[in-house]
Amino acid sequence: MAVEKFQEWYENRHAYQTDWKKRTGSKIVGFFCTYTPEEIYYAFDILPVRILGSHEIQDVTEPHLFAMFCPFCRDVLAQGLKGRYDYLDGITIAQSCIHLRQAYTSWEIHKNPGWSHYLPMPNHVQSPRAVPFLVGEYEILIKRLEDLTGRKITDSDLNKGIEIMNKVRRVMKDIYEFRKQDNPPITGLESMYMTCSQFFTDAREWLPVAEEVKKELETRKLERDPGKRLLIVGSENDDIEFIRMVETLGERESVGATIVVEEHCTTTRYFWDEVEEGLDDPLTAIADRYVSRTPCPSKDWPQRTRLQRILKFAKDFNADGAIVIQQKFCDPHETDIPFIRKFLEENDVPTYFLEFDVTTAVGPFAIRVEAFLETLDQEDDLF
Amino acid sequence: MISAGIDCGAKNTKTVILKDGKVIGKGSVLTGFDQEKAVEESLELAIREAGISRDDIGKIFGTGAGKDSVRMADDKVNEIKAMGKGAIFLFPNARTVADVGAEEGRAAKLDENGRPADFAINEKCAAGAGAFIEAMGRALETPLEEMGALALKSDKEIPMNAQCAIFAESEVIGLIHAKTEKQDISKAIHDSMASRIVSMIRRIGVNKDVVMIGGVAYNPGFVAAMKRELKLEKIHIPDDPEYGASLGAAVLAVDG
Amino acid sequence: MAKYPTEPLKCWPKAKELRQQFYRNFSEAKEKGGIRWMGSAWAPDAVVRGLGKDVYSVTGEPYGASCAFDKPLSAKFLSAAENFGFARDLCAYMRNYWGSILCNEYALDKGKFPKADFAWSQHICCSHAKWYQNACELEGGNVPLFCVDVGAGAYPPFEPEMYPHRIRYVADQMMDGIEWMQKVTGREYNDELFLEAVWNDMRLTSKWAEICMLNRATPAPLDEKTIYSLYVFGVLEQSNAEFADFYDELYDEVKDRAARGIAAVANEKARLMTDTQPPWGFLNIYRYMEKWGAVSVGSLYTFGLAGTWLYDEEKHDLIPRAMPDKKPATREEGCMMLADWHLSKPEYQHFYHPEYKTKMMDAIAKNWKCDGVILHYNRGCEGLTVGIAENRLGLLERGNKVMAYEGNMGDEREFDETATINRLSIFLESLGLKIED
Repeated sequence: MAVEKFQEWYENRHAYQTDWKKRTGSKIVGFFCTYTPEEIYYAFDILPVRILGSHEIQDVTEPHLFAMFCPFCRDVLAQGLKGRYDYLDGITIAQSCIHLRQAYTSWEIHKNPGWSHYLPMPNHVQSPRAVPFLVGEYEILIKRLEDLTGRKITDSDLNKGIEIMNKVRRVMKDIYEFRKQDNPPITGLESMYMTCSQFFTDAREWLPVAEEVKKELETRKLERDPGKRLLIVGSENDDIEFIRMVETLGERESVGATIVVEEHCTTTRYFWDEVEEGLDDPLTAIADRYVSRTPCPSKDWPQRTRLQRILKFAKDFNADGAIVIQQKFCDPHETDIPFIRKFLEENDVPTYFLEFDVTTAVGPFAIRVEAFLETLDQEDDLF
Repeated sequence: MISAGIDCGAKNTKTVILKDGKVIGKGSVLTGFDQEKAVEESLELAIREAGISRDDIGKIFGTGAGKDSVRMADDKVNEIKAMGKGAIFLFPNARTVADVGAEEGRAAKLDENGRPADFAINEKCAAGAGAFIEAMGRALETPLEEMGALALKSDKEIPMNAQCAIFAESEVIGLIHAKTEKQDISKAIHDSMASRIVSMIRRIGVNKDVVMIGGVAYNPGFVAAMKRELKLEKIHIPDDPEYGASLGAAVLAVDG
Repeated sequence: MAKYPTEPLKCWPKAKELRQQFYRNFSEAKEKGGIRWMGSAWAPDAVVRGLGKDVYSVTGEPYGASCAFDKPLSAKFLSAAENFGFARDLCAYMRNYWGSILCNEYALDKGKFPKADFAWSQHICCSHAKWYQNACELEGGNVPLFCVDVGAGAYPPFEPEMYPHRIRYVADQMMDGIEWMQKVTGREYNDELFLEAVWNDMRLTSKWAEICMLNRATPAPLDEKTIYSLYVFGVLEQSNAEFADFYDELYDEVKDRAARGIAAVANEKARLMTDTQPPWGFLNIYRYMEKWGAVSVGSLYTFGLAGTWLYDEEKHDLIPRAMPDKKPATREEGCMMLADWHLSKPEYQHFYHPEYKTKMMDAIAKNWKCDGVILHYNRGCEGLTVGIAENRLGLLERGNKVMAYEGNMGDEREFDETATINRLSIFLESLGLKIED
C-alpha cells in the first residue's frame, strides 16, 4: 500500500534527507514555521524541510529556554542541540509566534549551519499593506538565497516553485475529500503521516506517492468501525501517539472515533490555500497566498476569521464533535480558545479541551477522550 | 579549633563537628515540626560521638532551609555556599556540585575556593527532589530504601512521559496495570528524576568533576541514572552525602 | 552606614499629581464630551492625538500593573479571566485587564470599568493585538479595533540597513489608522495636533534616555524603585506635552543631584541592573537589596520602555537617540518619522534575536558600572522574557555575575517571596556584600 510510505518517511526523516542530499548534491534548509515561502526555495532547487520535534523527554534545552515557553519549541530546539540536523545547509523562520522563534534563535547561536534567515512575515495580514511589505521581504530573502547558492532565479523558476507547492496542496485536498465519507478509507493517523511526511521530503518525490494513494483510496475499505467523527483544532500537532490512541479506543472500549479533519499548522492551515497561478508577478502572488492563508491565531486580527473556517470544516466533514488542543503555554491559541469553544458550542459542535506536552500521557488522556465520546452518544446528528 | 555546622533541612537535621580539618562527630535526626528541638538533638548526637563537651566547640554555623532555628549559631550561611564549601573540602577538584535533598534540588558551579560562581535551584516542583521517588515508591508499594536497588536490576528504557509529579503517579499506575515489571518502572522513575536534575545542572554548566551530596545520593539507582544522563563514568559522592552542607558550614565556621 | 548624602526628589509630588490627573481625565472623559480609547503602552499614541485635545487613554500595561498592587482585587480579576476560559499562563496584565471588564470594575477608582470608544494598539508580541481583540469582544463586540503591526524587523546596527519598505509598512498602517479613526469617531482629523504630538513623542523619549544617562554617576542619583514611578509617563502617553515638559524638569533635578553627589541609596556599595518588569506587588525586594548596600540603577526595561536609544556597536554603548533636525510638516512625513522612531525602540529589538538584547544589556552593565545583573524570569510576560535564558548565558559569557529568579509581574500566585529573598541573599553574598541590620 502506497499509504504506508508516508509513515516510513515520517519515521525516517533524517535517513531520507541525508540520502537526498547525497543523491542530488543540492542544499537543504530547515524551516521552523509554515509561513516560510517554500515556493522560493524550490525555485532555487533548495529542499525546504520543516523541523518538528521527536516527542522524547530531553534535558538539553533547559539552559536556553525559560520554562514557560511551549513544549513544541523545546522539542524542536532539542533536535538541533542533539545534532540530529547537522547536515542542514541553512535554517530559516518566518515570523509567527515568539515561542518557536526562540528555537530558531538558540539554534542559530549554538548550531549555526552557516546560513540563517529571519523573515519578518507581517502580522497584520488583514491590512492591504501586508502584501507589498512581504514582497519587499521576499526580495531580501532572494538575495540571501543567491548568496547561499551562487545562482540567480527568474520568474519561470518561481513559477516552477509555485506549481510544485500547488500540486501538493491540491492532492492533499483531494485526499481530504475521502475523509468526508461515512466510513473514511483513510484514518486520521494516516492522514497525519501524509501531511507531515511532505514536510520532510522533496515534494517532487512525495507527489507521485500521494497520487497513487489517491487512486488506492477510491477502492480502499477499512475494516473498522469509524465511531464518532472528530475535528481537532489547535496548536502545532503531530502527536502520533495521541491520534493512534483516539482511533483505537473503539478496539478496547464501547466507543470509538475517527479524526476526520483538523485545523493545525501541520495540516489544513498549512496546505489549504493555493497560490494563484498565471499572474504577471509571481512574487506578489506568493506573498498574497501567505498573507491570505488560513492564519495562525497570532495573525488573526482584528477579525477572528478562523471561526468560520473551523465551522465550515466541522460541517463539510460532518464532525460529531471537536477536540480543541493546545500546546502547553501556546499563547496565540490560548487567546483564541475560549472564543472558539463558545462559537462551536453555539453552533452545536460539542467541544472538549486538552493541553498537550512534548509527550502525551496517553493513559489519562484516553479516559478523558472516552468520556467525551460517551457524551456525544447522547447527541443527535448535527448536520 | 573545634567547629560545628548544623544543616536544618526540610526532612532531616544534620550536624558535623570538625576538629583540625577532621570530622570527629556527626548526628542526624528527623526535623519534624519542632525545628529547634531537632537542632538541639542532632548537635547532642554529634557531641556524644565526638566525645567532647559543648563548651569545647569554638564556633557553630547554621545552614539549610531552617537555618533560623539554629539559635546557638554564631552565624548563618546560605545553603549554596555551605554545599560548595563541603564539596570542595571533600573533593578539591570539584567545580560542579549538586545537592539533592527531600524537598529541593540545587546545583552550583564553584571557583577554586569553593565559592559559588553560579547556581540554580529547582523551581517549586516535586518531580526534581527526593520526595518524588518516595511518592512513586508508595504507588509501587516499595519502601524508599529499596527503590534504588530495584532500579539497578532493570536495563529497560521506558520513558516517563508525564512532566509533573501528579501525572507521573497516574502514569506509574498505568504501567502497573500494563503489567510492567516493578524494576523497570523503578528505573523509569529514577531516569525521569535524574533528567530533571541534570536539566538544572546544565543550566550552570557541567564539569567533569561533579560532586553529588544530599540524602538522595545514597540511592544507587538514582546515581546510576545521573551518570547515564550526564554521560559521566564517575560522579564523586562522599561516604555520608547527607552531611555535605553541614560539613561545609563547619568548614566555613573555621575559615570564616 | 550612610556613605553618601541623600534627599527626596523635589518633583515627586508633581509626578504624583500628573499621574492622578491623567487617570481622572480618563474616567471623566465622557462627562466632558471627550473620547476614550484603550490600547497598549507601546501604541503610537501620537496618532490618536490628531483627533483632538480631549482624547484620553489609560494604556493596558500600567493598568495591569496597578491591579497587581491591590492583591485581593487582582485575585478577583484573574479568577474572572480564568473562569471565562483564559489560560493561567497568559500575560498577567492582559488577564487583569480582561478580568476588570468581566467584573466591570475599575482598579484605579473602584468605579465601573470605563468603556472605550475604540481600541488602538500596536502588535509585536503574540498577545498585543489579541489582548484588545478580546477586550473589544468582552465589551460586547461593538468597540472597533485597529492595530499597527510593528514586527517589521530589527533596527540598525542589528540589521545592515533600515529598509525603506519596512518603515513604509508601519507608516502606511498609521495612515490607514487615521482614516479609520475619523470613520469610527466621526471627528475630523487635525494634522497640526498630530505633528505636534509626533514631536512630543520624540522629545519625551529622547529626554528620558538623557535622564537615564545621568544615572551613570556614582552614587546613582536614582534607584530603580523610584525610576518605576517616573518612567511611567513614557508608558502612559509618550506624546503628551505636559509629560515631556515634566521630563525636562526632572532632567534638571537629576542632573543637579548627580553634580552634588546626592545618592538615591545612601549606603550604595554595589550597583545592580535588572531585567523585565518586577513582581509589582513585591517591590519590597528592592528595599531588601538596599540593606545589603546594593542599588539597582536601572535596566534595559526601564531605560528602553520610555526611552529611545541606539546601540553603538563600535563603542559598545547605548546612546540616547538624537532628535531629528526638523519637525515633520505633513501627515505622511509625520507617520514616516514616527514609524522610524518607534522601530528603533530598544525593547523591540530582542523580539528578533536575544543577542541584540544581550549586547545592549552588557553595554548597560559596563557603562553604568554594574556589579551584577538580576534577571526576572517573568512568567507574566512572554514578550519581554523571550530569549531571556540566552541573555543569561550571553551575559555570563561576557563576564557578568548573573542571578535569575522566577516570578510574575502581575499574578502573585507565581511569586515565592521567601525563596526569592533567599536567592537574593545568596547572590548578594557572592558579590562580597553583607547585610546591615
